Order: sequence, then structure tokens, then C-alpha cells
Amino acid sequence: MPGSAAIEAFGLSKTYGREIRALVGLDLRVERGEVFGYLGPNGAGKSTTIRLLLGLIRPTAGRASLHGLDTVREGVASRRSTGYLPGDLRLADRLTGSEQLDSLARLRGAVDERLREELCQRLDVVLDRPIRQLSKGNRQKLGIVQAFMHRPELVVLDEPTGGLDPLLQAEVRALLRETAADGRTVFLSSHSLDEVQHVADRVGIIRSGRLVDVDSVERLRERSLRHVTLTFDAPVDVSELARLDGVRVAAVDGPHVRLSAPETAMDALVKAAARHRIVDLVSQPADLEEIFLELYREPDDGG
Amino acid sequence: MAAELARRGLRDHRRALVGWCLGVAVYVALIASIFPSIEGSPELDELIASYPDVLKSLFGLESGASITSGAGYLDAELFGLMLPLLVLVLAIGSGARAIAGEEDAGRLELVLAYPLRRRDAVLAKGAAVAVEVLVVCAVAGFVLLAFDPLVGLDLPTTRVLEALASLVALGLLHGWLALAVGATVPSRALAIGLPAGLAASAYLVNGLHGLAGWLDPFRFLSSFWLVGSSPLGGGVDLVGVLVVLVAALAVLAAGAWLIERRDLQTP
Repeated sequence: MPGSAAIEAFGLSKTYGREIRALVGLDLRVERGEVFGYLGPNGAGKSTTIRLLLGLIRPTAGRASLHGLDTVREGVASRRSTGYLPGDLRLADRLTGSEQLDSLARLRGAVDERLREELCQRLDVVLDRPIRQLSKGNRQKLGIVQAFMHRPELVVLDEPTGGLDPLLQAEVRALLRETAADGRTVFLSSHSLDEVQHVADRVGIIRSGRLVDVDSVERLRERSLRHVTLTFDAPVDVSELARLDGVRVAAVDGPHVRLSAPETAMDALVKAAARHRIVDLVSQPADLEEIFLELYREPDDGG
Repeated sequence: MAAELARRGLRDHRRALVGWCLGVAVYVALIASIFPSIEGSPELDELIASYPDVLKSLFGLESGASITSGAGYLDAELFGLMLPLLVLVLAIGSGARAIAGEEDAGRLELVLAYPLRRRDAVLAKGAAVAVEVLVVCAVAGFVLLAFDPLVGLDLPTTRVLEALASLVALGLLHGWLALAVGATVPSRALAIGLPAGLAASAYLVNGLHGLAGWLDPFRFLSSFWLVGSSPLGGGVDLVGVLVVLVAALAVLAAGAWLIERRDLQTP
């Protein structure tokens, strides 16, 4: 449907049994040509959302559409121009990589042979060995190829770079950017902000089945914490560091100081620290769970 | 499109299918080649006459055809139990693997995310099960007809074809039931257990309904009773075969309908 968003969800919910609310009232709109990162800790409802979008499970309430096609009533049509990489990819172990891709191509009906070959070369896919002999990373590459090989308008990737080495992760990120530059849409889930921030335009954050925030990557990074460990050549007075906006000193152990700081405070922090003689400085992104605790603390919700 | 699933199902199982065919062929050939020594032992008829009725009815010996005749012998040794058993094990295994097994292994996730109807997937897998059943039954029939002139079984070809038809009907019913159960609930154990249990009960009801009066009303529910248990000596009930085939199609259709409504299990 021209004009409609790549993904739309209205009050999309999934409840298992009476108790387990895997997804609660998701309202979401992902525009065409966008790379949308779907971020949340394990078990937050990322895969549930994706499986609802692909019609693998049925919503308990609400509805969703891909390019204006309802995922339940027009499921087959909505999946026609969609590529999907499952979070836990399982392939036909006894087939070789190229047999598996042949089979999936026949299942889909229309595949761009040239594109498929190009993708295989680009990702250096092992095609002639039985899949059961392949490493997790090599299987993942096959999964990525099958998700892209029919030049879909929308690619849905559940934790795509798991098992890939850094070089290939960069290649996949480039592939995602090109796809978006082409006017097509990428929806990728991850539990790592670092993985998403280099590629996504916007990020949706999901926690305990609820979408808590949708924001641009820049804004999110500004708010996200860094763990900084400073080692000076002698013990220093940390109060001047602790005074800085957003900085919290976690531990002082002689010349070692551990603290957390938002990215926006890093410049002031380093300049303040540089008044002393620094032996070492390590800065690491806080993991997502900590960012959640910091940004989306819910008083009544421990999970 | 969905036909690819039938192709893949057969391809993935081709080695096992060849093994099944060889096994069935060897078994049938062995049974057939023993026949001349049975034929020359009329005392066997007396021995069997002295069997309790339960045994006779369970092993398809009640039709009156003598076990020293080709038809009576094969009814007792092949069509009474072993051949249906082999075909059912193949059919149920194949049917249960097609959906329940694939879902268990997490491989259905990617396939059903492709643009194909789930019911078409079930029907394609059902076609693959049917091909396997047909191939094995055809091999059994071929070996039987090939041995007939060599060992003097003296079988009317139409009777053999009818017997094979009843075998195919039994195979399809239980194989498609396994497929349909797997399409309805994500349980491989149930997909095997339900049709296997049904086949075992149907077999017992057919064998025992004459002796245990309370079972008698249930005989209409027994697929074995419907097709007739001594197909070569007593003849096949073609209406019964048709009923079983219709039931098989109904079960397959129900599976194709029910899979549309459920959640795929997380791999």
C-alpha cells in the first residue's frame, strides 16, 4: 500500500495464559526508509513483538500491519515483501548452505539470483558444506542472506549480529544502512545499545512488555551512562569530580576511582581529572539494564 | 511455493525411505519364499484349528481360508499384522515429523514467516506423507506379485491390489492424523502417541469384538474392521476402504484448518 508506514501497531498485546503479559498495548509506527532499533533486555518482549508482526503468533488484543497489510487477516500478503532473521535461527542441518538457500528461494517463489550471489560473496558465506558443520557465525550469515535475497521492502532482524566477528558486524551494519538509503526499511532488535546506535535512526525501548520510550539515537546516547575508571599516580580528592553534573562516584580505592557519568559530562570530567597526573582511563558503556534503571526507573516494578 | 515443502520433506527422508522399502521388500520376499514349506504341511491347519478363537481372530485366521493356501497364509503372516504395522510406523513417523518434529526443532519458525499459507504447508506435507505410504505399499505389492509365480501363491491380482488399497488407506489415515495432531498442538509425543494408540485400539477391537460382546458396537470405529482383516482370503470391504479414506481426508483438512488459528511455539 503506497503511503502507509512500513510497520504500524495499535494496542498490540500478547498475553500467555492469564498471567504472563509478554506485550502490553504496543503503539508503534516505523516509517519507510528508516532503520529502527528495538532495544530491550532479554525477555522484555522483543521477540514477541517480532513474531506478532510476522504472524507466527496471534495478538491477544490490538492489531498490526506491514505496509498497510494486516498481519492476521492479510498475513501472506503482508509477508510477501518482508525478510526475517529469527533470533534463534534453525536451518536444515543436513542441507548444504546453497541447497538451503535454493530451497528457501523456491519456497518464496521470487528471488533475485544476482543479489543472492552478491550477498553470499559480500558476507563470505560457506555454501558447499552441510549446515551442521558450520559455526554459529556462518549459519547466521546464511540467515542474513535469506532475509535479504529477495530485495524485501522491510527486513525484520532479531539480534542479527550475534555470533558474527566485528568485521562482519560492520559489514552487516553497512548492509542495513544501504537498505535504508534505498528507501527500504529495517527493524532490528537488540539488547545492546552499542550494537544499535551505529546503525539506527530511531530507537524504541521496551521493558517488561511495554514500550517505554522512542527516541533518536543521539538523544539516547546523550542520556546514556558510561562507566569510567580513572587511575591517578596518587590518591586525589574526588569531591571536585563528584560535583560535576550527572557524575556519581561509585568507589575510591587509593589512586583508583570508579564512577559513572552521562556522555554529556565526559568532557568536563576528563578536563577536571586532567588536573592530576593520570596513569590510566577506561570508559565503558553501561549495559542496557543499567540505563533502564537510570532512565526508566519504575517504583512499583522490579523486573 | 508450498510444494517445495513436499519436495523437501521427501528429500530429507529419502534415505530412510529407501531403507524402509528394502526392509519391507526383504520381509515380504522372505515370507513368500517360506510358503512352499507351509503349503506342504497340512497338519498346520489342524494346529490352527486348535488355537483359541482369540488368537485366530487377532491373526486374521478366521476367514476360513486355509493357512496352507497362498491367500490364507499371507493374510496371517503379512496382512494380518506385520505389513499394516510396518506401514503405520512409517506413516505415523513421517506425519509426526512433518510439522510437530520441525516445530520442535525450531525449523518451522523461518518457514512460516515466508509468504505462504499455513494450510498449504500442511497439505504439502500431507502429500509427502502420502507419497511415502504409496511407495512402500507399492514395493510390498510388487515383491508379492513377483514372487507369486515362483512359489505358487496363486493370488488373484485384483485381490492383491485391493489388499494394498486397504493398506494405503490405513497408512494415510494414521499418517495424516499424526500430521494433523502436530498441526493442532505443538507436541511431537502427542502426534505419535495419538495415532499409534488409535491404531492399536482399532486393531484390538477388530480382533476381539466377536469375543468380547461389549466391544461389538465399537467395531464401526475400528479402521481395521472397516477395511477387513483378511484381505486376500476374505476380501476387502471397498466401502470400508472408502470410509477410511474419507476419514483420512477429513483429518487432514481439520489439521490444515486448525493450524491457522494457533501460535507457533517458540523454538
